[in-house]
Amino acid sequence: MLMSPQKSFLDFLNKFIPLSQDEFNQLILPCIVKRKFEKKSIITQTGEVEEYINFIDSGLVRKYYKKENEEINTQISYEGHIIHAQESFHSRTPSEYTIETIEPSELTSITYECLERIYSTSEKMQRLGRLVITSTMVLKDKWQSQLVKLTPRERFLNFVSNHPELMQRVPQKYLASYLNIKPETFSRFKHMVKEYSRKIFFHHN
Amino acid sequence: MNNAFTDIDPVYFEYAQKYIGRFMPITSEELFDLLQYCEIRRFDKRVVIVHEGEVDNYLNLVVKGLVRKYLSVGKNEVILQLATEGHVVQSEISYLTKTPSMVVLETLEPTILVSLTHNKMEEALDKLPKGERLGRLILTGMFIKKDENRYNRLLKTTRQRFFEYIEHHPHMLQRVPQKYLASYLQIKPETFSRLKALYAKGRK
Repeated sequence: MLMSPQKSFLDFLNKFIPLSQDEFNQLILPCIVKRKFEKKSIITQTGEVEEYINFIDSGLVRKYYKKENEEINTQISYEGHIIHAQESFHSRTPSEYTIETIEPSELTSITYECLERIYSTSEKMQRLGRLVITSTMVLKDKWQSQLVKLTPRERFLNFVSNHPELMQRVPQKYLASYLNIKPETFSRFKHMVKEYSRKIFFHHN
Repeated sequence: MNNAFTDIDPVYFEYAQKYIGRFMPITSEELFDLLQYCEIRRFDKRVVIVHEGEVDNYLNLVVKGLVRKYLSVGKNEVILQLATEGHVVQSEISYLTKTPSMVVLETLEPTILVSLTHNKMEEALDKLPKGERLGRLILTGMFIKKDENRYNRLLKTTRQRFFEYIEHHPHMLQRVPQKYLASYLQIKPETFSRLKALYAKGRK
């Protein structure tokens, strides 16, 4: 059975604070905008003020900035995750980032204005907002520390074991840029893992 | 350690009000109520406040002194923050998720902090009117600041990073050992010396 997009967003919020279907229907649902994008569509352009916070119902979305014509990917997210240009969204200043779909994607989005309206309804909504922002900041900080602390090889192996499915879904050049690994090194690591799994496979059979 | 806030040093009060005022207006009474949840902590210079692997239980506002936050990478240290009066410093991930800290916090000068434990923070958010709103806004503000710093590191040239930082924080050249500033700005020590000479020349 297909899960309704509303349900998966409610499940996501429930991880932070228990929310009844009624509360969700009354406070949050009226603010939800459903948005659909083809693959390789730009959701938020550099220089534009981010209007939305987006929850990914389906698809795959990346965030990047440009440095001397090179695209540096800082986030790659799929179903069940939040993606938007958060600094721009919160500070109401032009975004340094572009947000673009990799696969056809469906988003559950809420505008800045509407989110403020949700916050103003109750302390509970303020709390929910704080907890979502906290978890996003923690994730981001952890990723930053990994980029500084781990070697490229460690980053690669961590990523492969935690997100094996993304190896199939995401173009290699995006992954290499996200993990801050040179494309040639990335290919070498990938080959190494393949060889290793083949050896294990033969060993077990 | 002094827990009594019955007569709060006006300087602490001022820093706290200024800091919070960045996020939302707060009256002196509201601030006073909030400070009841805090404690004052004093440290000598060169004291490690949070070790790597330790759970950080405090959110700290620096009211006097200087604290550095760094990550050890092999034998090297990468400085992530240099916090002076009016800045908030802590091991965020550790504090928020109650997991061992990846970063180290160390004072560089004798330092006084107004600190809030995790439990007291939860209590304050719960009990103070506007508590949740304030918590959310401070967190959002921290997030924005962090993002801005990341852009600066990623998008700006070495030279831009140096000059913008020195223009905004001229006193830091005196207060912080050069190697720390170089690490914080991600500039090679020799390049840093060269830029500093250039800066001194420009000012004459």
